Amino acid sequence: MAKRITIDPITRIEGHLRIDVEVDNNAVNNAWASCTMWRGIETILRGRDPRDAWMFTQRFCGVCTTVHAMASVRAVEDALKLEIPLNAQYIRNLILIGHGLHDHIVHFYQLSALDWVDILQVPKADPDKTAKLAESLSPWTRNSREEFKVAQDKVKAVAASGQLGIFMNGYWGHPAMRLSPEVNLLAFTHYVQALEYQRKALQVVGMLGSKTPHIQNLTVGGVANAIDLDSPSALGMDRLEAIRVLLDEVVRFVNEVYFVDVCALAAMYPEWFKIGSGVRNYLAVPDLPLDSKGSVYDLPGGYITNGNIGGVHAFKTASDKEFRESVSEDVTHAYYRGDKPLHPWLGETVPAFTGWDGEQKYSWVKAPRFQGQPMQVGPLAQVLIGYAQGHPLTRKYADLALAKVSALAGVHATPDMLQSTLGRHAARAIRAAMLAELAQKHWQLLVDNIAKGDFVVHNQPVFNGETEGVGTHEAPRGTLSHWVVVKDAKIKNYQAVVPSTWNASPRDRSGAHGPYEAALLRTPLARPEEPLEVLRTVHSFDPCMACACHAFDPSGREIAKVKVL
Amino acid sequence: MKNVLIAGIGNILLGDDGVGPYVARLLAAHYEFDPGVEIADLGTPALDLIDQISGRDAVILVDSIRVDCAPGAILLYRKPDIMRVCPSTRMDPHSPALVETLLSAELFSIAPRDVLLIGIVGASYDSGCRLSPSVVASVPPVIAKIRSELDRLGVTHHRRERPVESDIWWTVPDEIPILLPA
Repeated sequence: MAKRITIDPITRIEGHLRIDVEVDNNAVNNAWASCTMWRGIETILRGRDPRDAWMFTQRFCGVCTTVHAMASVRAVEDALKLEIPLNAQYIRNLILIGHGLHDHIVHFYQLSALDWVDILQVPKADPDKTAKLAESLSPWTRNSREEFKVAQDKVKAVAASGQLGIFMNGYWGHPAMRLSPEVNLLAFTHYVQALEYQRKALQVVGMLGSKTPHIQNLTVGGVANAIDLDSPSALGMDRLEAIRVLLDEVVRFVNEVYFVDVCALAAMYPEWFKIGSGVRNYLAVPDLPLDSKGSVYDLPGGYITNGNIGGVHAFKTASDKEFRESVSEDVTHAYYRGDKPLHPWLGETVPAFTGWDGEQKYSWVKAPRFQGQPMQVGPLAQVLIGYAQGHPLTRKYADLALAKVSALAGVHATPDMLQSTLGRHAARAIRAAMLAELAQKHWQLLVDNIAKGDFVVHNQPVFNGETEGVGTHEAPRGTLSHWVVVKDAKIKNYQAVVPSTWNASPRDRSGAHGPYEAALLRTPLARPEEPLEVLRTVHSFDPCMACACHAFDPSGREIAKVKVL
Repeated sequence: MKNVLIAGIGNILLGDDGVGPYVARLLAAHYEFDPGVEIADLGTPALDLIDQISGRDAVILVDSIRVDCAPGAILLYRKPDIMRVCPSTRMDPHSPALVETLLSAELFSIAPRDVLLIGIVGASYDSGCRLSPSVVASVPPVIAKIRSELDRLGVTHHRRERPVESDIWWTVPDEIPILLPA
């Protein structure tokens, strides 16, 4: 007899993601992903000045503010066929890299590590043994017995108090948790240290964007940073040097801690390379432009269908014709009016809430499709698409990760194994290492360009008649696209197709599952009433339902963490 | 000198959820404070809130709340009230919010000693940049509450003789006439 399990932080307005799985014989045999709140924020933009749109779009989501700002200015610039000065490209790229590094570190340590790491095993660890183990894995200087002891004492104090506080809701002691006490202590210590380095990555964004969480320096046509090498208030050598120091520290943390931890974790849970693949169609857009026209990029894009890595198709530019013409959104199972898939420029957002019904409509997320197919987006898509094209930087870090996992686990890890729950974590760490190297490259490009005497940061936008544009960004969670129609210098239509819309998509008119849903099918559950394995797969996508309504709920009485029906 | 953060929290695109940022920007335009006071519109910071509150002596947060009270009602919560709320399963980065931030900050010994959350009950969280009339009416007493909390903390503040322009760029300010406390 199959039973239905709902995971839904139901009284919390912050948590919009709801997952329903049907479990039979301790395995998932059906799944539904839904968003419990109406988005449709795009309708606010109609009739506004396209030059202001980015200020509003960066409020879509409090976690990914900068990415929506960037996609928005790029959409308007695409509609106006506007070139972007080199300095502006490099400054924007550094902001995007800083944000991406911050996001990947936060995701692994704060949002998903505790799916694999058992906090209540930490007090049993031997700090000496932990230090020896750590030394064999990485040259990180903060892998000392003292740091491990301090971190362990924190957990001991929390455990002794009987008030688990922040750790109240974990699946501690679950049979799917398998790390030794020492590895648990190692990971927990890095969880504590990660807080410092994620903050440094965010400081880079703030120093270039003049503020976080909402950057202020963007403008349609470039950036608003004044460049003056001698002025402390402008972007000069002092500030650039401070940015370099911060980046170097973050780069070291990524290479010596995050990347190593993910490889070690993968080696200890190798069965998760066989779980959670789901939709094997992948999509990524090129990003980090290297010229003012946007014709050369540091990160490649394209698409793969049916897991056929050898048959990759490449996109030449970030607004590639094939990409522009191939995206549509289906609302068959979403709470909107409409009877056929629509291209985003023609997109409608007319709500029609009917209540959760797995057979009919069950989500506020539309179902985006590329050439009619569901697509998986995110670091895994980007890494596979880059690897398939022979992109040297992708190959460098992907091969390094696979070699580390192979050596630690005594298996032969292949790129094909990345199509899995664990592969999504590995791909995110690979992408973080790539971004870390590119951070230093783009810092140098900016400094060298300024040294040539080029201080230009902005080209003036000129509006003319009715035009359409798409602005893309390969965000931490994957392909983000903003679609704008500009008429007489006003916004006529605006749609944002965000990464989590691709991945958290509901079924479409043909009944095809979205990526979260498909990835959950056949997942084994050791204890269905404690569906840790479901969380592992869902978290591996780094879900973020970009609507961010945030009202505090002080009651906390009815938090239906997991409901078994 | 005390290091104090006064932060407006909420999404300006979702109706009354924008009251926190609105109050923060209005406050900055009309009042002056000790140099140790920072006023910020933080939007919906989720986990990044920990960076904003860590190492401060005191934090005053203004946010919309969802309780069974009339729209516009103002409720106050101190640190122990907030930390009593059970943290929920982390589904996405928005889930770890205020409760988890404070619990983490306590664990890492970086939490501010004083925390006051001034909660305003919203009438509507539909998409749009306007506040409901009942929520607008709650703004002057919220500002009065912020000032009395600053008095309690021993932080000086006074009304500007000439207010600077309030940077509430997302809505039309003259539609919201507000009588501010002197």
